[in-house]
Amino acid sequence: MKRIYSIGGGKGGSGKSFIATSLGVLLAKQGKRVVLVDLDLGASNLHTLLGQKIPQKGLDAFIDKETRNLEDLALPTTIPNLYLISSTKCSLEIANLFYAQKVKLISAINDLPFDYILLDLGPGTHFNTLDFFLVAPEGLFVATPEPTAIENTFNFIKSVYLRKLKLALKQTNMWYVFKEEIAKLSRGTLKSPMELVDILVKREPEKGKLFEDLLKRLKFKLILNKFRGQVTENLGEQLVDVCNRHLYPSFEFLGNISYDSRVYEAIVARHIFIRKYPYTKTVSDLQTMARTLTEKRQQPAELRISR
Amino acid sequence: MIKKFEDLNYYELFQIPYGASSFEVRQAYKNILAIYEETSLATYSLFTEDERREILSKIEKAFLTLIDEQKRTSYDNALVNSGEVPEDILIERAQKKAIPIFQINQARARGSNLARIRKKIQEKGTRERASVMVKGDVISGNDLKNLRESLGVELEEVFQATKISPTALDAIERDDITNLPPTIYLKSFLKSYAEVLQLDVKTVVEGYLKNVEKQ
Ligand SMILES: Nc1ncnc2c1ncn2[C@@H]1O[C@H](COP(=O)(O)OP(=O)(O)OP(=O)(O)O)[C@@H](O)[C@H]1O
Ligand SMILES: [Mg+2]
Repeated sequence: MKRIYSIGGGKGGSGKSFIATSLGVLLAKQGKRVVLVDLDLGASNLHTLLGQKIPQKGLDAFIDKETRNLEDLALPTTIPNLYLISSTKCSLEIANLFYAQKVKLISAINDLPFDYILLDLGPGTHFNTLDFFLVAPEGLFVATPEPTAIENTFNFIKSVYLRKLKLALKQTNMWYVFKEEIAKLSRGTLKSPMELVDILVKREPEKGKLFEDLLKRLKFKLILNKFRGQVTENLGEQLVDVCNRHLYPSFEFLGNISYDSRVYEAIVARHIFIRKYPYTKTVSDLQTMARTLTEKRQQPAELRISR
Repeated sequence: MIKKFEDLNYYELFQIPYGASSFEVRQAYKNILAIYEETSLATYSLFTEDERREILSKIEKAFLTLIDEQKRTSYDNALVNSGEVPEDILIERAQKKAIPIFQINQARARGSNLARIRKKIQEKGTRERASVMVKGDVISGNDLKNLRESLGVELEEVFQATKISPTALDAIERDDITNLPPTIYLKSFLKSYAEVLQLDVKTVVEGYLKNVEKQ
């Protein structure tokens, strides 16, 4: 059965690409056919983490309509079963995709014939990043145990909800409602996406409920990276608990990944960390995580943003 | 419908059962404070100062109510009267109060037993857990036994944690149809059994019932 996971989380440098690559390698080693899709357009670096040269073909060919079949752009890596769709050739301008192009790309990603499709996202909350995050029915989000990262994480999640809501409003021709209601707010801005949901439910109970359900169905899995001894032991559980209480109850804690300074060394030396240091705590944490992901459990139905 | 944080009653806020002991209340208080106190990373930047103050004061009020026998009783009554929770909670609490000391110890022992089993299973890792579950959809007593053993859990421990009689447990694991308890009990036993071993309850109950049908 096919599984799609997007890997995002707002904060730059939290380890999204490292984790995407590592999980990709581990899943491939379990014999799954895995494709990594580098969606950090304009700043892609998965090939570097895989110790590969700059790939010759990439997403740009699909966006420029040179290649019709996205699968043709999935290049083999040095790891059997692991493929990479790179975006090194995508210029920064491509980062500003047209909506139609994006919809096409998203639907092509959904159709990729692999067991696991891992989408590596860039930092920040640009709407393209959010749309890519929303491609997968389940998003992994990476945080690190620092106030700045936690702040960005909450912000990222709220932005995902708000984006989902805005798209749904646009698709149902209810965008004007949003405009009207925002104009009514004395603050001029929303406190949180939940506030907008409350407004919608009040205004149009039936439709409002549908919107709320859309948000409730988004599933998030938290990964706490660069975990060190001095951090509150159950910070991950606490975070998920807080999200489940104050946002929607769709959060799950996947686990901690230990900090190891050799991650940096491996990247600098262009070695695949997992291969170079297989007996570290960091790798065993990643392994546990990869196993959790392969445990047979139904993935929620696809939640495409298109159509 | 999901309840908003502001609407949670004290038990929901503390995430404890209505019958929770004062020990559990204190424990829960400690945990929730760790999440919402000013210096907590887990809620960093999530609330304004006012919002946080309000949450903390609600937590404080909840705590002071739940550890005070009298206040708690009238709070419980109010919950029941407002129709928010069924009357059973009052009975549950009354019974709890009445249990003599040796039973309390037993209840404790049961909890710690469960914790020990959980720990064992945790140490075994997820791989073992997953690998035993992948066989077809029929689950025999022998499957359960193998599973339990592969997790390193003794039958005795399951008994301690679930209070299912050893004869019933034995009958279940040996597929001893004639000595199995009636189906409704069997179902609830299987459920507890699965919960203790952290297996998927539905898979186990349905799988085992299919197994019984086949015999
Ligand atoms: N578990 C870890 N232990 C130690 N260092 C780590 C760990 N994970 C990541 N790093 C370090 O953090 C750096 C950034 O990691 P990575 O490039 O994966 O982050 P990113 O979230 O993808 O960043 P961006 O947002 O820019 O795409 C790495 O170069 C590495 O040095
Ligand atoms: Mg990256």
